[in-house]
Amino acid sequence: MNALAQLAHGFAVALTPLNLFWALIGSILGTAIGVLPGIGPALTIALLLPVTVKMNPTGAFIMFAAILYGAMYGGSTTSILLNTPGESGAIMTALEGNRMARRGRGAAALATAAIGSFVAGTLATIVLTFAAPAVAELAFLFGPADYFALMVLAFTSVSCVLGTSRVRGFTSLFAGLALGVMGIDAQTGQARLTFGSPELLDGMELVVVMVGLFAVGETMYVASRYGGGGVRLNPLAGGLRMTREDWRRSWKPWLRGTALGFPIGALPAGGSEIPTFLSYMIERRLSPKREEFGREGAIEGVAGPEAANNAAAAGILVPLLTLGLPTSATAAILLAAFQNYGLQPGPFLFLNNPDLVWGLIASLYVGNVLLLVLNLPLVGVWVRLLLIPRPWLYGGIMVFGIVGVYGLGGSELDLALMVAVGLVGYAMRVYDFPIAPALLGMILGPMAETQLRRALAIGQGSPWVLVESSLSAALLLLAVAVLLLPTVLRRLRPA
Amino acid sequence: MSAATRSANAASRPAPEPVPPAPTRPWGIGVAVAAFGLVWLYGALSLPQAATYAVVGPGLFPAAIGFGLLVLGALLLLAVARGERFEPQQVEDADVSRHASRAAFWTTLAAGVVPILVIRPLGFPVAAAVAFALTARAFGSRRLPLDLAGGFLLGVACWWLFSRLLGLSLPGFPPLGT
Repeated sequence: MNALAQLAHGFAVALTPLNLFWALIGSILGTAIGVLPGIGPALTIALLLPVTVKMNPTGAFIMFAAILYGAMYGGSTTSILLNTPGESGAIMTALEGNRMARRGRGAAALATAAIGSFVAGTLATIVLTFAAPAVAELAFLFGPADYFALMVLAFTSVSCVLGTSRVRGFTSLFAGLALGVMGIDAQTGQARLTFGSPELLDGMELVVVMVGLFAVGETMYVASRYGGGGVRLNPLAGGLRMTREDWRRSWKPWLRGTALGFPIGALPAGGSEIPTFLSYMIERRLSPKREEFGREGAIEGVAGPEAANNAAAAGILVPLLTLGLPTSATAAILLAAFQNYGLQPGPFLFLNNPDLVWGLIASLYVGNVLLLVLNLPLVGVWVRLLLIPRPWLYGGIMVFGIVGVYGLGGSELDLALMVAVGLVGYAMRVYDFPIAPALLGMILGPMAETQLRRALAIGQGSPWVLVESSLSAALLLLAVAVLLLPTVLRRLRPA
Repeated sequence: MSAATRSANAASRPAPEPVPPAPTRPWGIGVAVAAFGLVWLYGALSLPQAATYAVVGPGLFPAAIGFGLLVLGALLLLAVARGERFEPQQVEDADVSRHASRAAFWTTLAAGVVPILVIRPLGFPVAAAVAFALTARAFGSRRLPLDLAGGFLLGVACWWLFSRLLGLSLPGFPPLGT
């Protein structure tokens, strides 16, 4: 079956009333958490994991994907109206978007962000539809050593790109790897680093770590540095729609942003920071009204980065679905969700669970339409969420965290570990350690270990087996290059 | 956060430049990371490093991680010694130019710790009320009865949703046997 027939089948799955309902719930939830501070898509999906165990996996993933996309839409709203980017991909949007809002052009900025997100999300999903099966075919060529090399590349690039310094990125990664090895070793049945506690035989629960790092750590950090004060909303008055000129100035940045966001999002270092930044710089250079940048706010500077942001979110799904390789914190949680259902993303997922894969891809198209409808006319409703008093908002986040952790198994040890990890998360924010590498290490680490041991068993213990195939050698070389690149660049730069 | 987004962040906040605080020297971070590594190294070395049929034993990977953390801890200490800057992250709602409030920090920590002690004897809604009210207090709320009531209601709603609809075990109010 070719991709189009598969996609048609996917739409049949995604358009059933129940799955449409999950897409709608996910879109609403995603937009809400995108607007709200203190809670993001990764934490939301982690908290939903125990709840969705009894759900049909297709419905659950349709909802998760809608949350991921919805958070992107919601994040741009706060960037533009409040100059507080809810997540790193929306930082660039805030630059010009908030200037437009202060000039009373907030509605036009919101419109170009929402429509741009829709255009980029849809185009990127089309590319995903045709690229993913092809990449999945390629993945059949991967042996254990190649997979191990690929994971090393993902570890290295995430640790190098995301942090202030490589040492801090790798510290975060290794802390995650360390948590990942706790519990029974799947291959020999030996208990590892459980400190004699029977409750730790299953290993460290992902939800405990997520809630600790994101909910508890963030709440402690924000509470101790809370500026207080009310929310200053920019009024939505004046120029409620995009003018003809706005459209003329927006459509090219949308397309360029998509072209930047999708491929970069699909790379192992991926993420949305780099494509949004590049898009902003390019639009600034190409704009016929360059003088508006940094002053009254240029619409190109909103349209481009927003499109890049959403396209990157679709790009992240390519390595996740085809290789089982997460490249961001949210993707890592999605991988854990697959494992929760006993599913392993990769080429076999396309063969064994076509309903899930194609239903999920089709639901991305549906979700984009839902989000456009939810966000364009209802933006005023979403903004009201920001009026929730901060003491109650963060109190609620703590309560939801405790529900998620205690609901797992009714264990006080889990709650204590949550607080301990929360303290680590607090320290990571105070001393500027990136958090995503820790999650990637924890989730991907055990898989990397399995592949490493499998490869070494095949090679009868010879470490050369790791570089025997040209693919694994190339991937490892690339990892070394990523590791050394900052040093080389620093040497080349004139002092 | 990459250097690119950092500079963009700075540009988007043209707020008055705060007086740069004296560089912090967080020696403890390096020591803690190294200690973490030592614990893992010690735990891993008590496991077999090699296995007869699989070549690599269950201890090798944890030992490598422990060793890696030890090295990273040393590198962090070196960075601290060289005066590398460790600056607080920009997070929504947080004003990093101000001094951290110890009282708020300890109150939030209590919001995490006290529920551990009360959840079994007094049930989830009470634990939720305590966590909610303590967190709200850390954020400057001074309406304790209202916060307790709000947290309790939220706790009851969660308890009802989870234990009645989803079948997850959350203790209701054990003194009354629910």
